[in-house]
Amino acid sequence: MVDVIPEPGSGLLDQYQPGGAFDEAFDADGSVRGTYSRIVERFRELDISEVRRLENLVADEFRRQGITFTVYSEEEGTERIWPMDLFPRIIAAAEWDELSRGLSQRVAAMNCFLADLYNGGGQAIADGVVPRWLVVSSRGFERNAVGIRVPHSAHCNIAGIDVVRAADGRYRVLEDNLRSPSGISYVVENRAAMAKACSWLFYDHPVEPTEQYGRMLRSTLDSMAPDGNDSPHIVVLTPGIYNSAYFEHAFLARSMGVELVEGRDLVVDDHTVYSRTIEGLVKVDVIYRRIDDDFLDPVAFRPDSTLGVPGLLSALRAGTVTVCNALGNGVVDDKGVYPYVPDLIRYYLGAEPIIDNVPTYMMWDPDQRSEALARLDELVAKPVGESGGYGVLIGPHATERELDDARATIEADPRNWIVQELVQLSTLPALAEDQLEPRHLDLRPFVLTGERTEVFPGGLTRVAMRRGSLIVNSSQGGGSKDTWVLAPETP
Amino acid sequence: MILARHAESLLWAGRYLERAENTSRCLSYAANSITHLRPGEATAEGEMLVRTLGLQDELEAVGPLESQPQLIAFLLSDTDNPGSVVSAVTAVRENLRTVRDRIPIELWEEANGLYLRFPFLGHADAAPSGLHEVLLMVRRACLAISGILNEGMRRDEGHAFAVLGRMLERSIFTVGLLEASHADSRGVMDATRMLRLTSSLQAYHRQHGNAPDFDSVVRYLLHAKDLPRSVLSCLDRAEERLTGLASTAAALDRPRRKAALLRARLELGEVEEAMSAAPVPTLQDFLAQFMELASDVHTGIVPPLAMATVRSQYIRPGDGGDGGDGGGGAR
Repeated sequence: MVDVIPEPGSGLLDQYQPGGAFDEAFDADGSVRGTYSRIVERFRELDISEVRRLENLVADEFRRQGITFTVYSEEEGTERIWPMDLFPRIIAAAEWDELSRGLSQRVAAMNCFLADLYNGGGQAIADGVVPRWLVVSSRGFERNAVGIRVPHSAHCNIAGIDVVRAADGRYRVLEDNLRSPSGISYVVENRAAMAKACSWLFYDHPVEPTEQYGRMLRSTLDSMAPDGNDSPHIVVLTPGIYNSAYFEHAFLARSMGVELVEGRDLVVDDHTVYSRTIEGLVKVDVIYRRIDDDFLDPVAFRPDSTLGVPGLLSALRAGTVTVCNALGNGVVDDKGVYPYVPDLIRYYLGAEPIIDNVPTYMMWDPDQRSEALARLDELVAKPVGESGGYGVLIGPHATERELDDARATIEADPRNWIVQELVQLSTLPALAEDQLEPRHLDLRPFVLTGERTEVFPGGLTRVAMRRGSLIVNSSQGGGSKDTWVLAPETP
Repeated sequence: MILARHAESLLWAGRYLERAENTSRCLSYAANSITHLRPGEATAEGEMLVRTLGLQDELEAVGPLESQPQLIAFLLSDTDNPGSVVSAVTAVRENLRTVRDRIPIELWEEANGLYLRFPFLGHADAAPSGLHEVLLMVRRACLAISGILNEGMRRDEGHAFAVLGRMLERSIFTVGLLEASHADSRGVMDATRMLRLTSSLQAYHRQHGNAPDFDSVVRYLLHAKDLPRSVLSCLDRAEERLTGLASTAAALDRPRRKAALLRARLELGEVEEAMSAAPVPTLQDFLAQFMELASDVHTGIVPPLAMATVRSQYIRPGDGGDGGDGGGGAR
């Protein structure tokens, strides 16, 4: 089918004014950056009615496929259609190259730390790189994981690292997700929907494909078989159809060509995990679990959990099965450990971090605490154990009372808080009413580690859909964008 | 190799898909026939349809049938009635949702799309304004789903269970229709209606002429090998699937043998012979045997609870197995 390029319309970008943040598409003087020149030209050819029509096409596609997410805080009607803005994020090849090297480096160091902590006697702690009390007091630290051997010492097989671009245009890591990072299915489906609704936007852009994720993940998990079996029986373990990320769990199983199981489909017998099939019990080698540690095994963890598999921990200790991501990764997700990651990179890899952290104050340090609390109205306070934007206080947007309450809460429990400099997240044009306006965004790339490490090109770009808002989480009104990584130009 | 739970979901997806189609066809028929029914006949016909669909108990919970709109609401949109079109469509979607990783994307999209097209889902008392359009939409979507199932899905165990579910449900419907027709003392369910309710009128006319008589139609619906809705045709296909599945899943051998026995009884004329003496009890017994077959299939899929017992002993931290005691058992 031949696509028809629409006729010039009435200037969706005519009144576009980049704000104080770094705008990915426009310079401070309003001229278009090179990477975005062609896409800006295309959007200038569109009018609002055409964009709305395309948006509806995309929404219909998502609705038909049931691509939704759940907002748990709402009582009724919690399934919402996944929101996607049509103006894509574009990352040039050289920029991506540096970013992906930085991500690989960071995940490698965190894997070294996890292997050291659970199987290596904790050398980094002994050498004073990370305080012992901080690690053992972390909710994510799992004593039961000590001594469980992990193939290739790859504790984190699937990592989602949240990065932002600050006012100086440089990427910084905002948060590490080494337990069950979600979002990859939306990355792939965003691309599929974009390609169906407006394939002409891709003309002249050598965009790296996204559909290879299933193949990459399968290859990573294949390498994690406990006994070196080169065709292991892999399953994806889901809490079930009512979980907010069920669509993603089904997507992962389908794209890898493996079974999607629930806890009740698995049984442990003689320290070996089996799936219940119509032919009887079949041994399982690798479990890509999308269930938190606490729910994995009611015998070892929460006895009230019906989501997990009784006896799974015994099978892990016996070394008959690999659970990916490994048990106990939450210790690195702890925002209290986050400030130490650059030091872990130096300690394990002997190199300087390629991507910096956001400047962070550790509230358990009295000096840093008093400095941060004095100017809390300029900073961002985060509880160390939360994710999804919950519990975050953005100083400049908070009332005096909220600031006072936060100070008191932090003083009462400093271990559970960090305070960070406010990063003015970079912006990109996004559709608001009848114009494209700057909206803040972040990026969650995915890093896969098994026998070797691969960074999936692109990632999930989340965008705050309200003017000035820095909250990009879909559960709090955020949307998403298709992320284009451009292939290197061939000579 | 298929998970027992997935097998169960696909079996039920097949059954509910067939049920959605059967109930829609019955409703279409009920809605169209009002134009020529005499006073009093509408209620009698409604009761006959409810009996055909095996929903007497569900109707009893609602109360006696008093009007055609009540019948339509009961069969179309009553979410408390597991045999209503809405319930069946919802169940198809829910069952396919649990296996969406192993079915064609188009199959899920069609089932999800059908579910989303019901504007009154969740509102049992809402009367649809365009019944004909709704039923046409359901039947077309059911046909589309069947088409994708047959043409777009790999012929694996999952496909076999979905087909098996359809054949079991279809047999139960056709035998239920024959039973209801024989029990009909008011002459509502004549030969033509039986053919219409099984979408077999045209096929019958081409084969036997256009003046159907009751006994000939009964034989046709029981025995015609070339009629996809005849009992024998359904049994043939169900047995074929069960034979394939039982070659690896031993627990399905019992229902396979039962299906073969039912087929033999039918082919050897045993059922018809018994019907000539006592039609209603014979058909009731026949129907009960199909129910038992469906139950045996279900039992054959779902593993016994004993399998959930954990025999593993506790392994202390740091006691990870070195493979020395058969998979690293407890020390």
